[in-house]
Amino acid sequence: MANETNPLLSIQGISASVEEKQILHNVNLDVAPGEVHVLMGPNGAGKSTMGHVAMGEPTYTVDSGKIIFDGQDITDLTPDKRSRAGLFLSFQAPVEVPGVPLTSFLRAITTGREGLDMKRKEFRKRIRSLADELDMDRAYLDRELGVGFSGGEKKKVEMLQLLLLQPKLAILDETDSGLDVDALSVVSHGMKLYQETCNGTLLIITHNTRILEHLSVDRVHVMVKGRIVAEGDASMIADIDQNGFEQFEQAAANAE
Amino acid sequence: MSEKKRTQVDDIDRSMYDFHYDESDQEHLEAGLTPEIVREISEKKDEPEWMLEHRLKSLEIYNKFPEPDWGPSIEGLDMDNIVTYVKPPTEQQASWDDVPDDIKNTFDRLGIPEAEKSYLAGVGAQYDSELVYHSMQDSAAQMGIVYSGIEEALHDEKYEGLIHDHFMKLITPSDHKFAALHGAVWSGGSFVYVPKGTKLDYPLQSYFRLNAKGAGQFEHTLIIVEDDASLHFIEGCSAPKYNVANLHAGAVELFVGKNAHLRYSTIENWSKNMYNLNTKRATVQEGGDIEWISGSFGSHVGYLYPMSILNGRKARASFNGITFAGAGQNLDTGCKVVLNAPETSASVETKSISKDGGVSTFRSSIVATPKAEDSAASVSCQSLMLDDRSRSDTIPAMDIRCKNIDVGHEATIGRIGNDKVFYLMSRGMSEEEARTMIVNGFADPVSKELPLEYAVEMNNLIKLEMEGAIG
Amino acid sequence: MEARTLNNVSAMPAPTWHWLHMNDATVEVPEGLDAASDFAIDVAEGTAGAFDAAMAAAQEAWDAEHEGYEYQRNYTDEQAEKLGGTSLSAYQQGVDEVEASKDLARMFDMGMGGDATAYLREVAGTARVIEAKRGEHASASVRIAGLDGHANVAALDIVAAADSELDVCITVDSPTPGTGLTGSTIRVFAGDNAKVTITRVQTLDDSWIDLDDMGLFLGNQADVQINQTVLGAGKTYTGLAGDLRGTAANANVVTRYLGHGDQKIDFNYTLRHHGRKTTCDLYANGVLAGTSTKTLRGTIDLIRGAKGAEGKETDNVLLVDEGVHNKTVPTILCNEDDVMGNHGATIGHIRKEQMFYMASRGLSQKQAEAMFVSASLEDAYIEAPNDATREAVVRLGNKLVDGFGELVEDNEEELA
Repeated sequence: MANETNPLLSIQGISASVEEKQILHNVNLDVAPGEVHVLMGPNGAGKSTMGHVAMGEPTYTVDSGKIIFDGQDITDLTPDKRSRAGLFLSFQAPVEVPGVPLTSFLRAITTGREGLDMKRKEFRKRIRSLADELDMDRAYLDRELGVGFSGGEKKKVEMLQLLLLQPKLAILDETDSGLDVDALSVVSHGMKLYQETCNGTLLIITHNTRILEHLSVDRVHVMVKGRIVAEGDASMIADIDQNGFEQFEQAAANAE
Repeated sequence: MSEKKRTQVDDIDRSMYDFHYDESDQEHLEAGLTPEIVREISEKKDEPEWMLEHRLKSLEIYNKFPEPDWGPSIEGLDMDNIVTYVKPPTEQQASWDDVPDDIKNTFDRLGIPEAEKSYLAGVGAQYDSELVYHSMQDSAAQMGIVYSGIEEALHDEKYEGLIHDHFMKLITPSDHKFAALHGAVWSGGSFVYVPKGTKLDYPLQSYFRLNAKGAGQFEHTLIIVEDDASLHFIEGCSAPKYNVANLHAGAVELFVGKNAHLRYSTIENWSKNMYNLNTKRATVQEGGDIEWISGSFGSHVGYLYPMSILNGRKARASFNGITFAGAGQNLDTGCKVVLNAPETSASVETKSISKDGGVSTFRSSIVATPKAEDSAASVSCQSLMLDDRSRSDTIPAMDIRCKNIDVGHEATIGRIGNDKVFYLMSRGMSEEEARTMIVNGFADPVSKELPLEYAVEMNNLIKLEMEGAIG
Repeated sequence: MEARTLNNVSAMPAPTWHWLHMNDATVEVPEGLDAASDFAIDVAEGTAGAFDAAMAAAQEAWDAEHEGYEYQRNYTDEQAEKLGGTSLSAYQQGVDEVEASKDLARMFDMGMGGDATAYLREVAGTARVIEAKRGEHASASVRIAGLDGHANVAALDIVAAADSELDVCITVDSPTPGTGLTGSTIRVFAGDNAKVTITRVQTLDDSWIDLDDMGLFLGNQADVQINQTVLGAGKTYTGLAGDLRGTAANANVVTRYLGHGDQKIDFNYTLRHHGRKTTCDLYANGVLAGTSTKTLRGTIDLIRGAKGAEGKETDNVLLVDEGVHNKTVPTILCNEDDVMGNHGATIGHIRKEQMFYMASRGLSQKQAEAMFVSASLEDAYIEAPNDATREAVVRLGNKLVDGFGELVEDNEEELA
């Protein structure tokens, strides 16, 4: 059960829009420390938007509501400040950054972070061991970020950053989409490691229940057309697996 | 001489632009360009002293300029043999009935009076170097909009000051050789003034017809759209075919005020003996925008690069152009944009088509000055080669001097995919029909921006160019 | 030597408006420089005259393959004839003239051309020959160092016979302080099925001027990869021209640069497709910081007859400081229909979606920009083909980024 009194992430009445088109409608969502939450819903429901709004993507305008993270109102913070406050977003489609070797990028994002600003040798060792842990060829560390990486390799790089930055809370946006079985098991392994080593808190965005098989889920939120239309415990997953989202779509229609 | 009517789609044939009338009763000045000729032009027009000085200064600059060495050859243009000034035997009229029959017939055949009745707010028609017809709907006049001959306005106390302050301030005689020539011998053209806050829903149109053999046309168009005002101006050009070179060196100066909007559409269909060395330029103030729609089909040689200078915060420019170079044509077209204020934006989309030895060159410049922080510009150009005896060049330049800016550029060149032709033929089209359809589709982004009548004309011109394209 | 002005250097084949000042470069050679051609090369001298001999043989083979072939000039119709033809521009007429000559040597261009190639040849004297004989796999490295008070220029002929492989690394550096000019002028012949890789890394201090002049000839299925890294020198001029002559020849040119301080960087690339199914890819990616200036002229020329050819060029420029100045003119010239030509350019600050990604990992815009600068050096270090180049990158990197050397050397230790 969610810890009602002291959530780590608290999304309070968020409505958000892009180019004057409203996408999120009064979304409320609390995640307590150490818990695993799942945000589910059909394609185009606004789940990814929710993740990006939590991270502060400037494309979206927050029209009302606020986002409290670790006791701090982060609604007006830029994404880099949210990151340094301990929030992490794994991208569904990570960008490519030609000209920047992965290692240089990883060093830049750890620099100046308390407890992570390690000595160079230590840093090298750390990222190598993480690469090994994630079954990632070390050669990727010297390649330009994302350039020529397969979908699976891109997701591994996201997991590597998750484990390197050890955030307080990670939002995983469709991390499982488009992965083959091997990549999927690596990603699952990464999530498990994050929980074990950092006492991690997870908000998993997905429309597919497969990635949840090896996780102990605390709470499920269902989003349809930009609204949270149902919430419940892990048993909802099996229900959705069998019956799909149609049962919730009527609820969404009623809410409009 | 063909007597085909322009508006019939089925009848389209370039010969309908090729009729011409006897020029025997018109007065010609001596060929060649001297200060004496320039004085004579000015005297005949009874111009203010400052205009004569401007003409003489321009002539001086013209004589100093070398010919351009980077564009199509203009060797075939012997300036000494160009009759630079041809005055038709009529004064400007406000009713078509008063226009001499042969001139009126010319414009009738081009469909101008008809279009005026159906959808235009005002029309000006220039025949060779003089404006022969000018009229505007009463409703537009009541809004305070001025649309008149520029020479007429120059002789009107109310406007002389405005003209003095704007005339060749944007395009100066020292810009290039043909701007200088224009400054020396300009004649005719339109003056449009749209007062503050006035929005005209129907377009104004100006039609240029160069009828005399071996002549030049140097009209000057000056348009002032004041703050919060809006205007659509359409320019059409044609000329009959002769086997000696004609020259068109007009100038178009557009002043777009704060939050004002101007759309300037052109379908240029000069005959294929024309050297079209036209200069067009707009300056846009804060929040205003200029939209250029430009189709270049005619001319033997074309040098045409409408320029937008964005001088105010959030000013915008868009340029949408198509160039079709067929046999014997070397059309060097494109545009220039200067981003000279914060948060300005420009978008350029062009298409070019080359066929039967035609040469089309897309040439552009995007210049962002250090003032253009937080601005954006995108350029996209596509070129289509319809055979392997033609040429298509793309020469886009970008000069960026500020940091917080996004400039994107993309261009492609290629031919019509055989798979597309095969697909259409498999559905029963002839190869010619299939190719024409594909080329029309290629041109669609431009034609859909034109008024219907012009879009139809453009598609017909494409159809005409595509005829006999197979085998 | 007297001060000299080299005009019409690295001119783009089809010029544009003069007021843009992009058509070509002017190089000021300071006075008082002594001529030198003092550079280290780690392989034995190849056969004298190998390049000219290879070109003569290529001409013979080409003539035999193209018996009865006539280049088709631009078509004109009757009406245009009466007006003196299609009124081609000087450049367009020139193409028809040169192509009609069928003279391969005449069509072989150097990238800098103008006064610069002549100057470099004059300073360097006779070219050294680096050669891979038929079927051989050879490699060579060349080190050109700034010599105080000198114009130090290497002239090289790189000749890869049919079915050979040849890798050449060129390091241009200034390990000792001084001022002057360095340069190289290189003719490259890649015979049928030959594979040639040339990597040139320049890490000079700002007191130097560097001139990098190259011309390529590619036979049937020849594959040439050029990697250029420009990190230093107050003024750098790079000119590369290539004739993709043989069927299915391929040229890839990858340019990486970091402009900083008051540097001036000038690139000129012209790749001319003659052979059927030839392909090229010009890719430039760089960062401009400080008040540096960069000009890039890239021309892909698809010549009539090059059926099935494909050319592509890209220039991505990241601007990280106010006061930088970037000029790019990505030209495609084409008089053949059965071709594909593409070019793209992105110029400006960090792209929106990239910036959000980096911000979501904790980087501010300033931090991200600093990362791009140091990453371009690290990238050069990672890509460096040999120790000499790595040393040179570290030497320059230490001047620009605190602790750069230790950073990358840790990497080395662990690898060892």
